[in-house]
Amino acid sequence: MSAAPRIVAGYTADDSGADALALAGRLARASGALLEVVMVLPSEARNASVPTDAGYERFLKEQSRAWLTTASRALGDDVERALHIRYAESFAEGLIQAAHEFGARLIVVGAARGGLFGRSRIGSVADELLHSSDVPVALAPAGSREVPVDLGVTRVTTMIGTRPGADALLEASVRLARQTETPLRLLSLASIDLPAGLDEHLAALTGSAHADEVLDEARRALPDGIAASAATATGSSIEDAVRALDWEPGEMVLVGSSRLAAPRHLFLGSTAAKMLRELPVPMIVVPRTTA
Amino acid sequence: MTHPSDPQAPLTAASSAIPGTAAGSETAKKGKGLSAGSVGLIGAIVIGISCIAPAYTLTAALGPTVSEVGVQVPAIILVGFIPMLLVAFGYRELNRRMPDSGTSFTWATRAFGPWVGWMAGWGLIAATILVLSNLAGIAVDFLFLLISQIVGNPDIAEIAMNPFVNVVTCLLFMLGATWISYRDMQTTQKLQYWLVGFQVLVLVLFSVAALVEVANGNAFDATAIEWSWFNPFAIDSFSAFAAGLSLSIFIFWGWDVTLTMNEETKGSSKTPGQAATITVVTIVILYLLIAVSLIAFAGVGDGEYGLGNPDIQDNVFFHLAGPILGPLAVLVSLAVLTSSASSLQSTFVSPARTLLAMGHYGALPEKFAKVSPRFFTPGYATIVSAIVASVFYTVMRFLSENVLWDTITALGMMICFYYGITAFACVWYFRAQWFRSVRNVFFTLLFPLIGGVILGVLFFTTLIDSMDPDYGSGSSVGGLGLVFVLGMVVLLGGVVVMLWQWHKRPAFFRGETLTAAETESPE
Repeated sequence: MSAAPRIVAGYTADDSGADALALAGRLARASGALLEVVMVLPSEARNASVPTDAGYERFLKEQSRAWLTTASRALGDDVERALHIRYAESFAEGLIQAAHEFGARLIVVGAARGGLFGRSRIGSVADELLHSSDVPVALAPAGSREVPVDLGVTRVTTMIGTRPGADALLEASVRLARQTETPLRLLSLASIDLPAGLDEHLAALTGSAHADEVLDEARRALPDGIAASAATATGSSIEDAVRALDWEPGEMVLVGSSRLAAPRHLFLGSTAAKMLRELPVPMIVVPRTTA
Repeated sequence: MTHPSDPQAPLTAASSAIPGTAAGSETAKKGKGLSAGSVGLIGAIVIGISCIAPAYTLTAALGPTVSEVGVQVPAIILVGFIPMLLVAFGYRELNRRMPDSGTSFTWATRAFGPWVGWMAGWGLIAATILVLSNLAGIAVDFLFLLISQIVGNPDIAEIAMNPFVNVVTCLLFMLGATWISYRDMQTTQKLQYWLVGFQVLVLVLFSVAALVEVANGNAFDATAIEWSWFNPFAIDSFSAFAAGLSLSIFIFWGWDVTLTMNEETKGSSKTPGQAATITVVTIVILYLLIAVSLIAFAGVGDGEYGLGNPDIQDNVFFHLAGPILGPLAVLVSLAVLTSSASSLQSTFVSPARTLLAMGHYGALPEKFAKVSPRFFTPGYATIVSAIVASVFYTVMRFLSENVLWDTITALGMMICFYYGITAFACVWYFRAQWFRSVRNVFFTLLFPLIGGVILGVLFFTTLIDSMDPDYGSGSSVGGLGLVFVLGMVVLLGGVVVMLWQWHKRPAFFRGETLTAAETESPE
């Protein structure tokens, strides 16, 4: 049992939290992972102007416990889960600490806040997490709470580039594909990810040649026994390319964090951020080298 | 660690350790992230001073206090601390035994049943809503003063006197404070330290400058400092004494949080006591310094800058900073402005939490118990408090020319009301334990009892005296003093709302949701 992977679900008692919990539950069920549902309450230590109040602390804790219990019921009986309340200066910090505490390999949060514009907006929590986590982060798009938990994971797609981080990314993808017993799809964005201003025809040519090269290399790096298909995204922009590809409802997309990130930390590059806006399925962002 | 698949899986052991609930849950060392944590000594002092907001408090309360007791302001400041301290001891005992966000409401309900408890909660909410509107009002005055000092045009400070501009600006302040409170946005500790340090330094500078002006013979109405200023018996009537005292209770209001906020400190059990002591010593010294130097400079007469002049009494720093500090007066404006602004947030917390507790126990609609899932603040209660405070300020601004002054006096009365009930609640709640130890005799019987009696006497004296139309600022409605009308409207309004809630939500009033403790059982 101790070998089972663990997933931290960052829960808040709103739609975004329900999205996160539903996705985390689906992932945990599909991969046989243990689900650690974590609510993060504000730590009083950060407090500089409002007096602390033990009574209110207790009230908040009871309220959060009630929220967690209700949310836990919605998960159904198939998912092994534990409920936790943690204190931290921020939601993101609390989730990262919880991931370390439980040895979790994944943190799941709701991507959108407010949800006014559907899946297109990335919330401040997800944003902070993406800038500081050393654990892969799954972003549940708004509406994930509507997806039935038994849909499971039907395919794992890895966005392959040539950038550093691909190793960790590939490793995480293979692991997820194995755990969920699903096929892996390698997807190259190389033909799009070129500096602007190049001659379009030339770009397309060098781009597709480059893309094939990258895919071949990635395939060679795969361990034996992993079935992987390959595809190349084409289009004049990331948005076009993402729209042109086919996505299964139970698909999970993995991307590596940007070159700008500090080693072993996440940072969502502009490519990944653009993709997130278009993707109809959850995305997992993997730090350049994972523990 | 267990992973039961029972949907009602209990929290893991580490998570369920809530201080003060299940016996034995008090784990010796809670790792980071497992408990709410707490602020250290310096942090507690800073929060304490910032809650009291000495710059704001003095500019609002000094004038009304002078009008009651003349030069004996220093005496009344010293005496005013006594009932505050006595009641705070009782408050601490109750907070230890029954930590609850409803504070006075919950404790009074447990001691005296739902009706008294409900009114205690109402008194607390009314007092904090009064101070919210006063804070915002003072902030408006100083905002315009600050702008006028910066651009060098005295006419701009006068804009604050226009009721429409004033109300609109005040509502904007209120909106900002609500936004900050709702989202629980915290200034960084560093910034907060600077703000509080700045406030204290400016007050010291202000008094030293006033004394220097006196020494140089430039004072407006140089008054020789005498020991009799510190003698409470030199005050000529008991009414004046009582009125002054209820004002000086207001100036220490908020200090009690330093005594209770740190009950569960990281290492030391001495921290709360130390923090409270250092805070109060700092505050008392500041108050005395300011009171003595300003009286020495301006006297208590009713001349242009005299502290007895009703035109300047509701906001004395506003009028005296210029004559004393000249171009540096801008610092005073900044200090008062930041002082009231940072106090707005901590003040917002208290009515919101009490409303939340009342909603939670069914004494008010359930909506009040709603907690924002993102910010973990009592969202609905915060917004309701803000709306009520805004409406209150708007009505008062058009009703009274001396709105700030009258709200301060009415506020003193409200504080006496709910603090008094809280003190008696402590005495009654612990009645089975009074003589269990010498400590109990003092902390659960004598201190809160004496404090409660003093506050009770103050409350009734102020109530009776304020019927006089000349009381306080001299505003009156229908031949009765405005302060009296205000106090009665607030309290009787509370009774009306209480009866309405009794009709709608009888369970609370039957004692089904929050039971009155028969007697505190020995441990």
